[in-house]
Amino acid sequence: MSHHSGRRATPGRLVAITMTLLVVLSPFLWLLQMSFKSNDQILQFPPPLIFTPTLENYVSLWHSAFSASFVNSLLSASLSTALALLFGVPAAYALSRWAGRGKHALSFAILVTRMAPPIAFTIPFFLFYRWIGLLDTVTGLVLVYTSFNLPLVIWMMQPFFDTIPVSLEEAALVDGARTRTVFTKIVLPMVTPGIAATAILCFLYAWNDFFFALILTRTNARTAPVAVVNFMNYEGWEWGKIAAGGSLVMAPVLIFSLAVRRYLVSGLTAGAVKG
Amino acid sequence: MSESGIDAERRSFIACALTPSLIVLFAVAVLPAIYLVVTSLTPFQLTAPGSATDFSVPLRNYGLLPGDPRFVNSLWVQAKLSCWGVLFQVLLGMLLALLLNVQSRFVEFARTFFLIPMVLPPIVVAVIWKLIYTPDISPLYYAAQLLNFTMPALTSSVDFALTAIIIADTWEWLPFTFLMVLAALQTIPDEYSEAALVDGASKLQIFWYVTLPFITPILVISGMFRLIDSVKAFPLIFLLTSGGPGTVTEVTNYYAYLLAFDTNEIGYSSAVTVVMLLLVAGISLALVWMGRRREAMA
Repeated sequence: MSHHSGRRATPGRLVAITMTLLVVLSPFLWLLQMSFKSNDQILQFPPPLIFTPTLENYVSLWHSAFSASFVNSLLSASLSTALALLFGVPAAYALSRWAGRGKHALSFAILVTRMAPPIAFTIPFFLFYRWIGLLDTVTGLVLVYTSFNLPLVIWMMQPFFDTIPVSLEEAALVDGARTRTVFTKIVLPMVTPGIAATAILCFLYAWNDFFFALILTRTNARTAPVAVVNFMNYEGWEWGKIAAGGSLVMAPVLIFSLAVRRYLVSGLTAGAVKG
Repeated sequence: MSESGIDAERRSFIACALTPSLIVLFAVAVLPAIYLVVTSLTPFQLTAPGSATDFSVPLRNYGLLPGDPRFVNSLWVQAKLSCWGVLFQVLLGMLLALLLNVQSRFVEFARTFFLIPMVLPPIVVAVIWKLIYTPDISPLYYAAQLLNFTMPALTSSVDFALTAIIIADTWEWLPFTFLMVLAALQTIPDEYSEAALVDGASKLQIFWYVTLPFITPILVISGMFRLIDSVKAFPLIFLLTSGGPGTVTEVTNYYAYLLAFDTNEIGYSSAVTVVMLLLVAGISLALVWMGRRREAMA
């Protein structure tokens, strides 16, 4: 390793980095500490920095309709992830082994679904769902999330398949194995880490969605992000509950995304850097 | 199995693997677009049956657009929000990347935590800033009071509402530009700046003549990505200002949302959305073109 002024971590720089980190994260930490305060403590002036934490906000959320919304979020995110993987992984394999015209259709679809503002899809989806009666159902949400995660799965999985040497499959094929068997028994086990990372990203996209859930659901299928907002509109300004709800919504995201941070950028830029 | 038997079997597998995905992609990327364009040619309102298929004056909606002050204003608001947001995100992201471009176990550990704002659900980001911007419970207003300074109500003030949105948006997306610039910085061979250092160049000169030319393409590309995505800034506006006060923070996306789902003007909203799509498509094509050119050069 070469050492010169630009790359060495001087103590001064480490202090600057720590300070910056604290400043950047302070709004986030403020939400977190507020979720452990009672409503009286929240409205106290000056705000107490040292206080006895309480779980009352979380407990009251657990006993409210919020828990049902949380289950809706979990259901729609995990089901849509499973479906997107089921369709997308074989497609990614086929595209990786066979460079045909599908590749162009694929990059076009990824571009459209990632770049276009969601409102462009919500109007047609809303009218279509209204017509066939899928409004305010978890099924409806699963369909939307699956279709938007599918291009992401294909995009993420293709490079993993590209790294597997074709000779492995050819050897098995010569021995008389069917392509289907080669795929499920030889190729798939080798890309498990890729599938795991892709699954987490899909889950996060569906979990984070606010716009589709806001428009396509009312009460039955309401997801957790929409439920948090409803604390503001209809049930008065219960700041403690709002903070606790926000913290619960972000908990799975924080855990998962730290696990896949290596793939975050390629997921976010899907479709454009390499068309 | 014969050679051609293997080929046929393989072809049928590929067809089975691809067909469902291609159908879904078509249904999701192409059909809604067609439907949107068709609806934009009608005066469709949910409350008026029959209006969905009324093509008597197909270009009526598009004719109304230039004379609609709210539409024109929304484009202008979007332009302001996008330009300032992208500018701050690229600049601050670059500074942050330069600060963190050092080799140390601690810094590598800290990098992960800088990513938090970006991975949070957008609605949680909006909740976080709602807490910061609400005077009764905000640390910001408390600090201002300690300093004997009267803070204006940011999100309900004509002068500051858009700034408040830009600040929150910058906080949310700073990690993205940071991550992209950091990746670019780490590909610069150390020899370049070492050679410049031997030649007696100052740190500023090294930045200006060695580092900056190296990362300029990634600055442009990450800026374009943010530009495209800035059109989607919905949860922040929805929760913090609802487009107000008046129409100060009403971007085109939000206006289209209000038209379709608040006033039921589906046809007109579709026309607004089509115009917005065309603008985004233009920027996206430029981005793809730049990406290809960059790959060809590399």
